[in-house]
Amino acid sequence: MSISSPVRKAVVAGALAAVSIVLSLTPFGYIPWLAGASLTVMHVPAIIGAVLEGPLVGALVGAIFGVSSLVKAATSPGGPIDVFFTNPVVSVIPRILVGVVAWAVFAAFRGKFRAVSAAVAGVAGSLTNALLVLGTLVAYKAIPLAVAGSVFVANSLVEAVVGGILTTAVVLAWKGIGDSVGKSRLSSEDK
Amino acid sequence: MKELEFIRDISIGQYIDTDSAIHRLRAGTKYLVLFSFALVALVSPTPLGALLPLALAIPVSGKARIRIAFLVRGLKPALPFFGIVAVFQFLFSWPGDRSAILFSIGPVVGTARELWMSVLIVTRGASMIVLVSLFTATTSEEEIVRGVEEGLLPLGRIGIPTHLVSLAVGAAVRFVPIIAEELETIVKAQACRGADFGSSKRGPIAKARAWIPLFVPVTVRALERAELLAEAMEARCYTGKGRAEAPHLALRAGERVIRLLAVLAAAAWIALDVLIINVRIRPW
Repeated sequence: MSISSPVRKAVVAGALAAVSIVLSLTPFGYIPWLAGASLTVMHVPAIIGAVLEGPLVGALVGAIFGVSSLVKAATSPGGPIDVFFTNPVVSVIPRILVGVVAWAVFAAFRGKFRAVSAAVAGVAGSLTNALLVLGTLVAYKAIPLAVAGSVFVANSLVEAVVGGILTTAVVLAWKGIGDSVGKSRLSSEDK
Repeated sequence: MKELEFIRDISIGQYIDTDSAIHRLRAGTKYLVLFSFALVALVSPTPLGALLPLALAIPVSGKARIRIAFLVRGLKPALPFFGIVAVFQFLFSWPGDRSAILFSIGPVVGTARELWMSVLIVTRGASMIVLVSLFTATTSEEEIVRGVEEGLLPLGRIGIPTHLVSLAVGAAVRFVPIIAEELETIVKAQACRGADFGSSKRGPIAKARAWIPLFVPVTVRALERAELLAEAMEARCYTGKGRAEAPHLALRAGERVIRLLAVLAAAAWIALDVLIINVRIRPW
């Protein structure tokens, strides 16, 4: 993708992390499951960051989002699973790896078939999120393996497809805008 | 529609400005204490070990002139979930659980290990909640964001560019209200066009499909904003390093002692818990 300066990468990471945080604070992103373990699309900006700007940005977006979910779990928990989300091994580490894995998968395509590679990265990142969050929950005895398994089958596979679709949609839209004139439309808007 | 009105005023916890000695500590010190005792809460294998941060919160909040009632209030929303977690521990049977059976009510069998885990999980969760509450109560939002760089200094020593992480965190915090407002605008615009976000009676796939015309514009516009901001910064030759910070005093000796004590105390307590307490009092 584009070679951008460190400052640009940092700011993009911040903006994408903000999208994740805002989504986590609204009711839209939540497909409720298992009294609190709502695994949804808030990890997708981390995937997008990884696809567009590389593994460090993806990991950083994941980290910031993870920490925000930890703070939210500690200050305004929404379900029993939030008790476990106060543990960064459950809330932060998996989200960092979402960015890394998504980038690795995307990079494996070596820049070809961008739509497909973005979609696969989206799926891979979503699966990473689901597997690691559920896995760490099992490790910390939040839910038994059998329950985690059924949640995964019932929820995470659909979530992975949604992740792939959303990643592709954003990446194509962004690259489409980037290749045409007048990218910074915001600067001409009245605010 | 109630769902369309978002909280634009998103704050990180609740800051209580009492200008105590604790408040005047540098953000880096507070981060270090937070991390050290969070580690105690998370790594300690016994409930007694995980209790330390809770116990220490009492004198610390006294010194910070924060009432204990505030910390208790912070725990209140989690209480029902603590109860549910405890119930779940007893409801599920865990592989490899051969500890003493304490009770059986109908099909539900409660073992000593399940009781232990319930208490441990709740203590751990409560400690983390109190730690975060105390941290956000004694550290202003600006300090939290600015202090990220200082707080991550140990990572900086192994080559991670903490000034860029700090920039990203600052950008995220400042973008959140902007993006929240934009999301609200887009949701309302889509609702005007007939998109149905209000009803929650639809299946997950239908809900996810309704998502796309919401998610894509919000994210793309966020990227555009980031791009604009980055251009503006680069045009002013901003590199992130060596910028003029608010003048602060050199690290006072007292703070050095506090930092060292926090790390040592945490490490010692964890060792004590792992090596002695765990062995002595674990019933399985």
